[in-house]
Amino acid sequence: MSKYINFYLIEYALNSLLRQKHKNIFISIILTFLVFLLLSVFFITTSLKKELSYTVESLPEITVQKLISGKHYDIETSRLDEILSITGVNDAYARVWGYYYFTNAGVNFTLVGIEEFESQYKNSLQNLVDTTTDFNTDNAYVGKGVLEIMKQNYFKDYFKFILPDGSFKKVNIGGTFKADTNLESNDVIVLSKENTRQVYGMSENYATDIVVKVLNPDEIETIAQKIKQIYPDTRVITKNDFQVSYQNIFDYKSGLFLALFVVSLFTFFIIVYDKASGLSSSERKEIGVLKAIGWSLDDILKEKFYEASIISVFAYILGLIMALFFVYMFQAPLLRDIFSGYSELKSSFELPFVLDIQTMILVFFLSVPIYVASIIIPSWRASTMDADEVMR
Amino acid sequence: MLQKKAKKVVFSFTFLVLLLVFELVYLNTTKTISKDQLTLKKEFVSLTKLPDLAISTEATYIRHRSLTCVFDIYKDDGTLREYFPSSFVIMNSNKGNI
Repeated sequence: MSKYINFYLIEYALNSLLRQKHKNIFISIILTFLVFLLLSVFFITTSLKKELSYTVESLPEITVQKLISGKHYDIETSRLDEILSITGVNDAYARVWGYYYFTNAGVNFTLVGIEEFESQYKNSLQNLVDTTTDFNTDNAYVGKGVLEIMKQNYFKDYFKFILPDGSFKKVNIGGTFKADTNLESNDVIVLSKENTRQVYGMSENYATDIVVKVLNPDEIETIAQKIKQIYPDTRVITKNDFQVSYQNIFDYKSGLFLALFVVSLFTFFIIVYDKASGLSSSERKEIGVLKAIGWSLDDILKEKFYEASIISVFAYILGLIMALFFVYMFQAPLLRDIFSGYSELKSSFELPFVLDIQTMILVFFLSVPIYVASIIIPSWRASTMDADEVMR
Repeated sequence: MLQKKAKKVVFSFTFLVLLLVFELVYLNTTKTISKDQLTLKKEFVSLTKLPDLAISTEATYIRHRSLTCVFDIYKDDGTLREYFPSSFVIMNSNKGNI
């Protein structure tokens, strides 16, 4: 190994770095901070994206929504039969769901109506809810965040919805969803379909949208097109669209960060380059002395390469360790709020750890080689000059 | 033979690398999502059949942003087309509402 790596040169580079301790420590701190910031943002988005991708396969293959004058309207449940008759459709449900704005707290709840708590749903609910009480149709099953908001507003065992005609609908709180589902269930209230319809003043012949189950993934696009042909007033969303939109949500925000980061990173490199090209007199003298005692251009560049690599790799590893610690141990305080918004209905979720090698490599190549180049180029310019000229 | 100061730097480098490896192993064993958690999440999504995460709930078009609603800024396209910078400016208005 010593054939390829000159350890004496590395030692010289280390000593050279230690000779200018303060300057190098300062550069390391700035570079570490930049690497830490970008990696943290990327780690948060990777975790959230992973969370979304875990559940995407459980979503229905096709969602059909009715649009009138570009706005979403309730869809007729009679359309279900026509959709079910399309070859390849395994099942279709008329879904009743929507938002409920709770004025007291200024938050939006997501209300989901499920089919009269039929046995299949009952089993699901039993697994998902932190309670052993009987499941009945007048109960509401709520996310942790919803329960907290309700408690703050003195609704401990029941909640009263204000109906469109101004009257009240009282439902008992039957239980809360387990904390493990917080990221999905925090703002959700599950009611029976009938109760949800009552809250929204929706007749039995209408639903919010229709979801379609298709078993063969190759048929999804064709079936989506058929539905669109039969009902041109609908918007048909496939599972693939969800996947693309998931990608877009976080690419947008982390992309914005990347843009800001790249600006600050390049400003940093320009400063380093500028400082290095106007090498301080002692540094120029050092290069001159090295040349005078017989160092070749190759040796000087190698030594500068080692110097820059030591600083930048050190800063990169330190930034990586700090980012991992900050995101997954401390759950990224402050930075996480950029992605989670400012709603009162804060969700207390844990970012799951995802080993994102791709991001680590991306940030490595964004920081280390550029820093090395910004040190080597000015040194090369100085070392191509004659020794006496450099020292003068 | 390396000098004392250089030895210290080499030592701190090795320490950092070991710390990174230890941290990765620790996070991988304790902070990754468990199979039970995953099953619960999937079951919940199968029950509600709704997409997206409950991390931003301040406005309805943000909560289930993959699905349309009356004031949805993404309603034109199922793939969540972004109209930067106009939508960005609107999203950051006083109370986050259009």
